[in-house]
Amino acid sequence: MPQNPYLNVLFMAAAAVVFIIACCYGLGSLARWIGKLRGASLKKQENTFAGYFFAAPWIVGFLIFVIVPMAFSLYWSFTDYRVTSREPATWIGLDNYTQLLFNDDNFRASLVNTLYLTVIGLPLQMAAALVLAVLLNQKMRGERFFRMAFYLPVVLGFNTAVLLCWRLMLNTGTGIINQIIRSVTTAVPALGYINRGLIHVQEIVTAFFLGLNTGKFNLLNKVIEAGLPEANRVPLWVQSPLWTKMSVILLMVWGCGSMMLIFLAGLNNIPKELHEAAEVDGASGWQRFWKVSFPLLTPYVFYNLVVGMIAALQIFEPVFVLYRDNQPLVSSTISMVYYLWQKSFSHFEIGYGSAISWVILVIILIITVIQFKLQDRWVTYDIY
Amino acid sequence: MHKKLFVALSILMLASMLLTACSPKVAPTEVVAEPQATEVPAAATPVTLKIYLLDYTPDTIAWLKSEINPAFEAAHPGVTVEITEGSWSGWDTTFSGFFAAGEGPDIINLGSEMNTLYGESLANMDEYLGEAAWADIKNFGPALANATYDGHLRGLPIFTAPRYVFCRTDLMEASGWTGGTPQNFADWVEFAGQVSEIDEATNSLKQQALVPVDAGSMADWQWWLLVFYSLGGELYKADGSPNFDSPEALAATQFMLDMRQATYGAASDAVGALPTGQGSVIDVDDATGANNGAVCLAHSGWAAPAFDRPVWSNVSIEPFYGDPANFPNSKPVVLAFNDWLAVADYSPNKELAAEWLKMAFSKEANHKWNETMGLIPARNDAQYGYVTDSAQLKLEAELAAKYGVGFAGIEEAAKLSTIMQDALGKLITEELTPEEVVATIQEQYSAALK
Repeated sequence: MPQNPYLNVLFMAAAAVVFIIACCYGLGSLARWIGKLRGASLKKQENTFAGYFFAAPWIVGFLIFVIVPMAFSLYWSFTDYRVTSREPATWIGLDNYTQLLFNDDNFRASLVNTLYLTVIGLPLQMAAALVLAVLLNQKMRGERFFRMAFYLPVVLGFNTAVLLCWRLMLNTGTGIINQIIRSVTTAVPALGYINRGLIHVQEIVTAFFLGLNTGKFNLLNKVIEAGLPEANRVPLWVQSPLWTKMSVILLMVWGCGSMMLIFLAGLNNIPKELHEAAEVDGASGWQRFWKVSFPLLTPYVFYNLVVGMIAALQIFEPVFVLYRDNQPLVSSTISMVYYLWQKSFSHFEIGYGSAISWVILVIILIITVIQFKLQDRWVTYDIY
Repeated sequence: MHKKLFVALSILMLASMLLTACSPKVAPTEVVAEPQATEVPAAATPVTLKIYLLDYTPDTIAWLKSEINPAFEAAHPGVTVEITEGSWSGWDTTFSGFFAAGEGPDIINLGSEMNTLYGESLANMDEYLGEAAWADIKNFGPALANATYDGHLRGLPIFTAPRYVFCRTDLMEASGWTGGTPQNFADWVEFAGQVSEIDEATNSLKQQALVPVDAGSMADWQWWLLVFYSLGGELYKADGSPNFDSPEALAATQFMLDMRQATYGAASDAVGALPTGQGSVIDVDDATGANNGAVCLAHSGWAAPAFDRPVWSNVSIEPFYGDPANFPNSKPVVLAFNDWLAVADYSPNKELAAEWLKMAFSKEANHKWNETMGLIPARNDAQYGYVTDSAQLKLEAELAAKYGVGFAGIEEAAKLSTIMQDALGKLITEELTPEEVVATIQEQYSAALK
């Protein structure tokens, strides 16, 4: 191996190309040989060779970048392996899993928080996406612009600029979200009571979940004792543990553009004749939506539910973006994947982190299987 | 078919190699100087010395790239110095990747408490930087201890950035507080209640008596440690076990809660935080002429206003005094943080790394490096010029020398941080009492140390 770093780069690049070509030949030849053994014609053997030859780069990439890391992760999950230690990984059997499932209060807290975000955040996210899709389906002027605008958050992701914007918007005193709430509740006093009621209910629910994390319900009792908040109370978004999860949910809802596009595609696929027939029968717009559109949208709802639930159970970015630099608030909103990151890349316990990742995988797998089993009861594929 | 395929693949391979050769990673302009390298047989093989720095000012980076690196490259033909700029946000993920792969920058930027975290993966640099090899090492102040692990040097400290208590005397007087910077816990709590002001319209603070690290929670673990040390607390007992079950730990925790409640009210009915302003929280906003809201700031010098700001005529700088009335061992404390550069054990260029460090940490260079950031150099003999010319920095340096306590030597620092932040987060929501908080930290940290 040459010591010159520039030659090293060239050498490694050339070696990578040669390796890929060799893999292509190897996999193609193997497939052709198997075809030959099975008695395939010469033409079919050639086609098989070509097919596997061109598919090989992806297959090899999949093996190297997915299967091999997964295998290592599985092995490490049974070991005590710390990146910064000079000690090699030590086999400890099921210790990581037993610790994680039966003794780790922090993992339990992350699980409860993730469930909160999934059970409360995901329906809100889907509802927002559905409402936007229905609005955009009205064929109004500027539809394309609005479609792009609502999808933009998906493209932007959670970068530094977005983080700063959200922190400013969620500022308790001067943030635009609380400014709007103040303006609306001042202009329409009746809404002020609704706002206070919502704040109270939200804080009670969150305090209950925080109590589940610690096994102590002091805060819940105090929130209930305090009663309906004062008229000038507004949400303490990124400031109070009672509001940290709701702030994350806001970011989830903000990123509902992908779901919205799926719903929009579903709405476009519903035959107009069905709506026209319902209209002739005297159905109102509301009735047409719930009796015609929604049942036919259920395959799309199901798709968004499955994909959304997997994403919610793996939620990381919003928590990281909002609370990475505000550590005392992390415990109130820490998700399973944030905990995995913390263990693996902050505490460097790769073995334990690997075990967490496999537990998360199993949880997601079980929930997804249940969703597929239950789909027959509510998903309609009648017109598809 | 085979023949065509072979031709096509050969073309593909050649094209790939050509494209690779044109990629931006290859052949930076410095390589043009290779003829010079060939004149020096020892440096016939080009080497790139990689340095990873976190959140330095553009002035610092520009100075390193325009003065230090060219001088080093001239003195070491065939060597190219490459600086990568990272951020403290997410550094741990990046560093764990370096150590897991056993490959990465030769020199990495670490914080005070990280010597125990990464110590085993850092190179023993005694051979190159110890007193026998480099006489200048004796000019480094107490910060050098932070660059040491297991009795061996792992790198060199750049600066010392202690945490002081900066107070706006004019705002104190305007709020009717005439006692100056509080000097015990009871005074601090009374001060917080009297001086903090709430804007009824927004139900948020418009003036906050004390803004420590993490203004919102007022319960950051670094702030807790400062308060704990000021009571005379020791983090570990004689047998090495944690000391969170000590009276000092409980008092520090109770103080956190009292200050938080005196400022924000009860958790179930807390008010909003100060609005986000421009510049330091104890400064004045030039655009509006309004104060940014904090009366006192317990933080590093870099969080205070720039030294040329007019507000300094009304700002005092003092240590945190602890609680002498209740804890006789209390002492004034400024908690000294510092950045340092360490050499990774996986580095194949340890000697070169040491040579670069010696150049970048000479008396003049350490002085210049810190001048670009307005901080106190880690080298004692580099504390001249702008350090002594600035009344504020001179006072800060004096206080650091007199009351400085290092933020170092914390075993399993990352885990302790997580454990404490978690427990202190529950303290401010009153989910846990101060007694439960210290018991939780003691239990979890003891387990983490095993």
